[in-house]
Amino acid sequence: MNRKITIDPLTRIEGHLSIRVDVEEGKVITAECSGEMFRGFEAILQGRDPMDAQQIMQRICGVCPVAHGIASCMAQEEAYGVAPPQNGQLLRNLIQGSNFLQSHILHFYHLSAVDWIDLAAIQKYEGSDPTLRNLQTWVQTQIETQQLFPLAPLFPRYEGNYADDALTNEMGLKNYVIALEMRALAHQMGAIWCGKLPHAPGLIPGGVTESVTARKVARFRSALKRVATFIDDAYLPDVQRVATAFPDYFEVGRGCGNFLTYGMFGQPTGSEEPTFSPGVLMDGKLQTFHQDQITEDTCYSRFSSPSGIHPSSGASAPDPHKDKAYSWIKAPRYAGQVMEVGPLARVLTAYKRGTDPNLVNLVDKYLEALAVDATALPSVLGRHLSRALEAKIVATKMLEWVEMLAPEEPTNTPFTIPQTGTGAGLTEAARGALGHWLQIRNGKISNYQCVVPTTWNCSPRDDEGNPGATEQALMGTPVNNVENPLEAARVVRSFDPCLACAVH
Amino acid sequence: MHKKCVWREIAKKTSSTRFCVLVLIGTHFEVLFNNSIWGRSSSQRSSIFTKGHLVLQKNISRRDFTKLATALAGSLGLGAAAAPRTATALEKLAAGKPNVLWLQALSCSGCTVSALNSYQPDAIDLITEYMSLLFHSTISSATGSLASSVISETIDQGDFLLVVEGSIPLGMPEACMSGGRPISELIAKAAGRAKAVVAVGTCSSFGGIPAAENNPTGAVSVRDFLDSESIGKPLINLPGCPCHPDWLVGTLVHVTEFGMPSLDDDLRPTMFYSKVVHDQCPRFADYERGNFAESFSDSGCLFKLGCVGARTFSDCIHRRWNGGVNSCIDSGAPCIGCAGKDFAKKADFPLYRIGQEDALVTELAQR
Ligand code: SF4
Ligand code: SF4
Repeated sequence: MNRKITIDPLTRIEGHLSIRVDVEEGKVITAECSGEMFRGFEAILQGRDPMDAQQIMQRICGVCPVAHGIASCMAQEEAYGVAPPQNGQLLRNLIQGSNFLQSHILHFYHLSAVDWIDLAAIQKYEGSDPTLRNLQTWVQTQIETQQLFPLAPLFPRYEGNYADDALTNEMGLKNYVIALEMRALAHQMGAIWCGKLPHAPGLIPGGVTESVTARKVARFRSALKRVATFIDDAYLPDVQRVATAFPDYFEVGRGCGNFLTYGMFGQPTGSEEPTFSPGVLMDGKLQTFHQDQITEDTCYSRFSSPSGIHPSSGASAPDPHKDKAYSWIKAPRYAGQVMEVGPLARVLTAYKRGTDPNLVNLVDKYLEALAVDATALPSVLGRHLSRALEAKIVATKMLEWVEMLAPEEPTNTPFTIPQTGTGAGLTEAARGALGHWLQIRNGKISNYQCVVPTTWNCSPRDDEGNPGATEQALMGTPVNNVENPLEAARVVRSFDPCLACAVH
Repeated sequence: MHKKCVWREIAKKTSSTRFCVLVLIGTHFEVLFNNSIWGRSSSQRSSIFTKGHLVLQKNISRRDFTKLATALAGSLGLGAAAAPRTATALEKLAAGKPNVLWLQALSCSGCTVSALNSYQPDAIDLITEYMSLLFHSTISSATGSLASSVISETIDQGDFLLVVEGSIPLGMPEACMSGGRPISELIAKAAGRAKAVVAVGTCSSFGGIPAAENNPTGAVSVRDFLDSESIGKPLINLPGCPCHPDWLVGTLVHVTEFGMPSLDDDLRPTMFYSKVVHDQCPRFADYERGNFAESFSDSGCLFKLGCVGARTFSDCIHRRWNGGVNSCIDSGAPCIGCAGKDFAKKADFPLYRIGQEDALVTELAQR
């Protein structure tokens, strides 16, 4: 029997997303992803001073403002013909890295983990860990109040097959609490170099406004070490325990199988080949990335703008009642193909390229421990694992970069804004490949377009009718109980969707 | 007075009129509490007043509660008949946690992320001790139709504080949908039943970037939206892009333990927004001495790079961000007025005005 399920709103992601799936014989046979919120950032930027962009565009997303700020600065730098000095580049990397760490930790623990670990296990806890004891007391006190939803926001939840292993549940719960502190600490690290987070005032074309002092270096390093320890001692083991408890999910949510990354982190001069450089994995083969292969389709998107256009000359005129359209998200394609972006895409391309032996060894070590090979990575668990491994790799790189900072050296390069110019800023947000395209006429912004990670991952069908990456990943997902489609939600959340970004 | 404005006037005067009762015990003990807005009853809790402090203590029986209430009522000259009502109010106060329904409209979730950056109380304290967060889209386990039913049951039972993050697409309701309906409908329904509304962040307080010039959605602030729907509710605006966690936490605690805070004409709590950035700025002395930064690396007042600290009401600059590690101006970035009413609104008023001796210079010089 065919059953239609709608998950709307899909919570524990950023923003407004709804999912519709058809389930036949316990499996998803078709899926639609709809972005449900539109603000019109690109229209708002028209006619503005180009430097407004790095501040306004950060407000696309409160979870990854740094990536938008950096992409916008990079687009402007190309148009202005300027580049950050070494300190400026390093500080940007550290700010971006800090935001990655906060985002990855937030995603695993606060957005995803409650789909796997059994929160109810806290009632059976008999140990003496203070964090868990406190949580237990809270649960008991709350239940006694007999008020509406006493255990909100943790309950109610879907019924389903949560982990039944005590250690997995206890560590997951304990680290859920500690992770709240760790992600705030990671944000604090970023703020040391950019003034505040979210929405970094210190990002400007040409570098950053903050200066380097030994006190700030010491403060940053000390916080980074704590977060790095948490990644090693909690995040990675927790992901491993969830993967051990749910090995099936190396088979679920495999997706489109094509991967794209623009590369990230500017390379300080004199360092080795970057780990995270641009690349395309198509049908398992590594290809060189060519920016001109990107187009955006709008057939099923709520825009009247023409379809199949490169973002440098794209437009985003809203048409909320457009026939056939079912999403505010456009459908970006690379060489006409559906692409997945994000930590999995970055780790897979770097692994395939093999130029960073540390990354390859680390990935191999975890695959071996989980008794799978690299072909299992494109999957729900593979995405979580890639994100956690990437957090470790990024934290390690940050520990190197912080040592390269030079107090009293400049952190930005002066520039003048030309009357005309164009620029592209391509980098990576925590969720994947992020591009900003800028045109300047008469010293003002004449066009600005963004293609954002979740635009790729949660895109609707393209003009050819090919479903987007998440839509494809949903197909074939087993759903045991149509009233509680936990499995489908797990697939969608593995992409870490950010809807404010996807539509903007 | 225009009808819609009446409730706002009331809201402004709450600390002395409708919402709060001042309880004086002896000469030194005083506590303000709120008799109608917050909390559900909790029969297991009571409160004890100590000099200048309010101590919440668990596990005091209903009998003790009534005794304490009778004593209070007596000291207020209310007579024994008033005691039961006082007891209920006390219980609510002691319960100490408002039910919160947090809805997002045209938002970036930055105010949510900022709230999670709260230090002392930390995020976990916030969720477990300072509010009963009945629903928040980014954190709630409930998803899909389960989430929709949590929202509607919360609205039906009525005893909650509505927090709105993001502006409302008044001109294009389809620009923000939840559960198949425009979010504006949900917010109108929730606001109609809520005890009070807190607009968190500049978008919901003043429209913010989604309401900037050339925006296609007709985005408006919560205040304008409630006006357009003729919904009269006490409303508190907490602008800031994002809202500082202290402003949110401080407001929740004030409202729960002491009643409505005093608000300015723009419905901002005066305890956070009564001074402009400029007046509290660490570079004020540079400004006074005419020591101005000419480019981003320079020390000195950032005025000539476009700083609008002189017209932006906010205590962010001395409160500082992310546990106090930094601030915009300390990091060398001019104030772009993110907590201001007209933040980013006008296309021809750039956020940075390097070397421009514009009208602001005159404005500042005349202060
Ligand atoms: S103009 Fe800005 S930088 Fe200068 S003193 Fe005022 S607030 Fe501080
Ligand atoms: S200094 Fe200005 S821009 Fe910075 S947080 Fe405060 S109000 Fe916002």
